[in-house]
Amino acid sequence: MSRLLLALCVGAHLTFGGPAVLTAQDGSYDENALRIEGQSGDLRIVRGVQGTLVARISGFRTTDVAKLVAPSEHAMAEAKIFSRDYLPGSWIAGLGIATLGAAIGASRIDDVNRLIPAGLTVSAAALLIYGGGRLENAYNALARSVWWYNRDLKK
Amino acid sequence: MTLRVFLALMAGASILNSALTSADAQSTAGENTRVVPAPAASNVPNVPEQVTATTDSARSYDARALRFESSLGNVRIIRGADGQLVGTGGWFRDTELEKLVATSPNALAQARLYEKNNFRGSLVGTLGAITSVVGLVLTTNSSNSAASPALIIGGVGAMVWGVQHVNMSYSALSRALWWYNRDLSR
Repeated sequence: MSRLLLALCVGAHLTFGGPAVLTAQDGSYDENALRIEGQSGDLRIVRGVQGTLVARISGFRTTDVAKLVAPSEHAMAEAKIFSRDYLPGSWIAGLGIATLGAAIGASRIDDVNRLIPAGLTVSAAALLIYGGGRLENAYNALARSVWWYNRDLKK
Repeated sequence: MTLRVFLALMAGASILNSALTSADAQSTAGENTRVVPAPAASNVPNVPEQVTATTDSARSYDARALRFESSLGNVRIIRGADGQLVGTGGWFRDTELEKLVATSPNALAQARLYEKNNFRGSLVGTLGAITSVVGLVLTTNSSNSAASPALIIGGVGAMVWGVQHVNMSYSALSRALWWYNRDLSR
């Protein structure tokens, strides 16, 4: 009789155990899944339903995203692409803006050679396009990194 | 006898506890959470069933979870690990996001916020840019009109407002996709 009851006890645990595991998975996503939001020109990586701020990326400041998404290999690979492209992209785009300012300034001077503002404008455009491209690559890699991180939460 | 009573109590408590946990799981899992049904064949062990549920969940995420990327100022909505393009949007262009995330109420609310802010931001930002250009042209042509600085300032203000709203719309888009992915069957 006692064996029967023990078997019943174990059987009940196994039978009703499934949905409880699913709850833990849901809780994990609700509490830990990341997303990217923008605020006043900054990018913020927030966590969970409450939107807890875990990282801020702005201008020439960034954060170690690879460390943040460390449990997931795919996410880390994408985070490394982000780290590789973000700061160079920011600096090159910043240099492009400064060059554009110089071009506008040079064009205001009457006795300056016309090739100088033209050259500066072309250089500024090139820098902005290249820097913008690097930044776009970085942001897309960040989006993929967060996607993979959230995907691997459920494992 | 004491052992039997003890075992009977233990079994009852265990069944009750498991049943309550199960009910709680189903009530808190949300509308779109699909509890994986038990297999029809009773000879399939339950532990592999849980593994199957997790695997199905990962497969579902791999195949259906959305994210967005940008390309030359346009938004591209991408599905799954393979990166299938399911929608594009941008200034004044509708991504049909509401249809994509319709299965999740929270995602749908954020999708509406995205579309509202994106449209307003695009419209006001564009009007601001046009106003600024008109102001700059008037100033460059040495116009002494007092309207020129007002046009530039007003235009820049409208552009800032527009960019802020477009920015807010991207945050709403991010939240919409987050909720949609969250509510995928798991």
